[in-house]
Amino acid sequence: MNRRLLFRMFRVLMFAALVLGMASGCDSLPGRPDPADRYQRPDEVTDFTTLFATNCSGCHGAEGRRGPATPLGDPHYAALAQPAYLERIIGDGVGGTPMPPFAQARGGNLTEEQVSVLAQGIRAWGADVAGSTPTPPPLVAASPDQNPGSPARGEVAYAAFCADCHGPGGAGGEKAGSLVDPAYLGLVSDQALRTAVIVGREDLGMPGWQADQGRGISAGEISDVVAWLGSQRPSSAQGRPSGDGR
Amino acid sequence: MNRLRALGKWFDDRLALGRLYDHTLGHRIPLSSASAWYVFGSATLLCLIIQLVTGICLALVYVPAPDQAYASIEYLDYVQPLGWYLRALHYWGSNFMVALVTIHLIQVFLFGAYKYPRELTWMVGSGLFLATLGMAFTGQTIRFDQDAYWGVEIIVSILGRLPLVGEYATHLLQGGPIVGSETLSRFFALHVFVIPGLLIGLLVVHIRLVLVLGISEYPEAGKPLDKETYAEDYEATVARSGIRLMPEGGGKDLVFSALILTAIILCAAFIGPKIPNGPADPSLIHTVPRPDFYFLSLFAAFALMPPYLEGFVIVYLMPLAVVLLFAVPFLSRGAERHPSRRPGAVVLVVLVGVSLVTLAYEGVLSPWSPEMDAWSGQPVQPQFVEGRSPLEHVGATLLQAKQCRNCHALDGKGGKRGPDLAGVAMRLTPDQLVRQVLQGGGNMPAYGKHLAPHEVSALVAFLETLHPANAAPARNSAQPSGGVAGQPDKP
Ligand code: HEC
Ligand code: HEC
Ligand code: HEC
Repeated sequence: MNRRLLFRMFRVLMFAALVLGMASGCDSLPGRPDPADRYQRPDEVTDFTTLFATNCSGCHGAEGRRGPATPLGDPHYAALAQPAYLERIIGDGVGGTPMPPFAQARGGNLTEEQVSVLAQGIRAWGADVAGSTPTPPPLVAASPDQNPGSPARGEVAYAAFCADCHGPGGAGGEKAGSLVDPAYLGLVSDQALRTAVIVGREDLGMPGWQADQGRGISAGEISDVVAWLGSQRPSSAQGRPSGDGR
Repeated sequence: MNRLRALGKWFDDRLALGRLYDHTLGHRIPLSSASAWYVFGSATLLCLIIQLVTGICLALVYVPAPDQAYASIEYLDYVQPLGWYLRALHYWGSNFMVALVTIHLIQVFLFGAYKYPRELTWMVGSGLFLATLGMAFTGQTIRFDQDAYWGVEIIVSILGRLPLVGEYATHLLQGGPIVGSETLSRFFALHVFVIPGLLIGLLVVHIRLVLVLGISEYPEAGKPLDKETYAEDYEATVARSGIRLMPEGGGKDLVFSALILTAIILCAAFIGPKIPNGPADPSLIHTVPRPDFYFLSLFAAFALMPPYLEGFVIVYLMPLAVVLLFAVPFLSRGAERHPSRRPGAVVLVVLVGVSLVTLAYEGVLSPWSPEMDAWSGQPVQPQFVEGRSPLEHVGATLLQAKQCRNCHALDGKGGKRGPDLAGVAMRLTPDQLVRQVLQGGGNMPAYGKHLAPHEVSALVAFLETLHPANAAPARNSAQPSGGVAGQPDKP
């Protein structure tokens, strides 16, 4: 290559470097770090979407839908669940089930503030259906000791409302799987069963209470079905799954 | 104009700049040495100059104290006008410098330029290579973020295994028995005083050697090197057809250096600095630390190596590799310089290159490091939820709750330490699944003591559903109907 050409190239390149170097003076180039990408300590995150995605979506599904655990993103669920209830479950988990405690005091990673952000955020998913009529039965039964469901009546209610899909006796059918598998009952709380009946799994083809506009299963029958299913829980279930975080 | 010339002469009379030029940039080199292959050394020098300039500027703001180092980096990134740009230039300057010094080393090796009489030039150059890596390493360390913390831990555990001096060396480097506040000061001193001093000292010797011994001719196949006549021949060549290093010889160097400068500026402006990933705090385990690219291979090698090999590699192989690097001119004594006559050298370069690249690639994926947040942050995808029974749903939540997902992906999402479980039911029968979960094996912990029988049934029930819809899963041979042997819970 001849020398003149080389030196011309050198001059052009140096000029380009100089211009580029000066242009970076405007301080708005793509390389400039965006404060949004700045590292945040996990316990400083207070954005609901991020908190839910990193802590809950694993089991409850992206945006609370179509995951293996309770569809928290179903507006009917979100409208029914009271913030205090949500905070308690998130903080303490559900003993004997895979739902872990998240409160730092219980060995989890979330601060009190973060737990409350989560509860508020889940509530907000239900804003559209909150207050609509007819009013569904309460998500949490008043007090199971005062008003225990009857397993015998539950078996009848089951045959009427559930057997079509879950098969006779709860052993599983064409459209849905078994509800009386001992391993299943040993790992699920009564509350989760109740939630399933009231909210359903609309995302998986199980209608909730809302689907019949309240003309279907009654509040009493719900408690009965749960009592019937619960009565078949194997005694071997270590530490009976409990909805109150024990 | 004449005044100016007179002034120039006044200085030249005193400083003898003209003579300096004749002996340095103006010294004559063989025509064939002005090859486009010979541009990497000068470009590395350019990077060093950029690093010195930007480094001094950075040192004006950076605070080498453990509680403030990280904050001062963030100050540069977000507050100080153009502070980010300075960091970006320094970061990309170091990336390019490591790359270029490596290419320079490979080129010199392939062209046999280390042979007589340039053995010492090679050895000093090897020292420069190691010093450059040392700069890169200490540099990423004083960012004092989580990657840095990892880096120190690794280097310290490496040093700690050296026989006799191990304990002493780690103590010296850490400034105490553990990685602590003194450690940062040590690395800072290394990065701004010790290694740069060493580097500049070696560089002076390196350049002195280049000037004294001249630049090797472009190698020619079948023209072996003869120690007896080499010096005479070289001088004859230079006298016959020599050119001055500057301006005739160095044109390509100038163009290439300008190209590198432009590339560094572009990378700095468009990609920017490396954003530190959280303060060096061992209680934060949410990020998977990963070193800058040049140490990825080392990182991968240590992560993938079985533990019983580590001691051997650290105590023998690594020091041996360094000794071999320095000893190259004495081990390879053949007279041929052209790579086509030295197939061994070419094979060696390819082998080392391929293994480093493969390891670095593994390092990028870092499949062995569990994904800490997968259990709660990586959804079980809808295709693994739909059509499953209630028991299988609980099994899926257990796969999350027991943190299996941190090591195991489902359809590519999740940790990569163990196999992807998406098709596991095709590979393993229900019995084998139970055994794997209870007894572990390979790099998987045994879960036997950590799972209640119901949990095993639920987990395995879910794992059994992990096969494509149109393919039959593996079955227990004794039990064609399926069902988990030894698990009376099955319906
Ligand atoms: C490892 C899986 C897992 C993770 C992660 C998880 N959950 Fe759960 N969650 C469950 C399971 C399983 C249940 C049902 C427990 C039962 O049987 O009552 C549940 C139940 C709940 C319930 C009660 C539902 C009801 O019946 O009213 C709430 C509320 C809840 N989770 C919120 C959360 C939130 C918020 C997060 C994130 C901070 C979270 N969960 C993370 C598995 C998980
Ligand atoms: C229209 C069909 C249908 C009816 C009726 C129905 N279910 Fe379901 N149910 C499903 C489907 C589908 C699922 C999802 C799991 C599966 O496919 O097995 C499900 C899941 C469940 C679950 C577990 C939730 C989960 O995440 O896996 C419970 C508990 C449950 N049903 C209880 C009941 C009870 C009690 C009744 C009667 C009050 C009932 N179901 C009626 C279809 C139905
Ligand atoms: C620390 C990481 C780690 C964790 C946690 C882990 N595994 Fe594994 N798992 C592995 C590795 C590594 C292998 C491959 C073992 C081998 O090569 O023999 C493996 C293999 C398996 C296999 C066999 C896969 C195949 O294709 O052959 C199954 C099934 C499995 N694991 C299930 C689980 C379950 C269920 C859990 C949670 C209870 C779990 N693993 C937790 C690392 C892990």
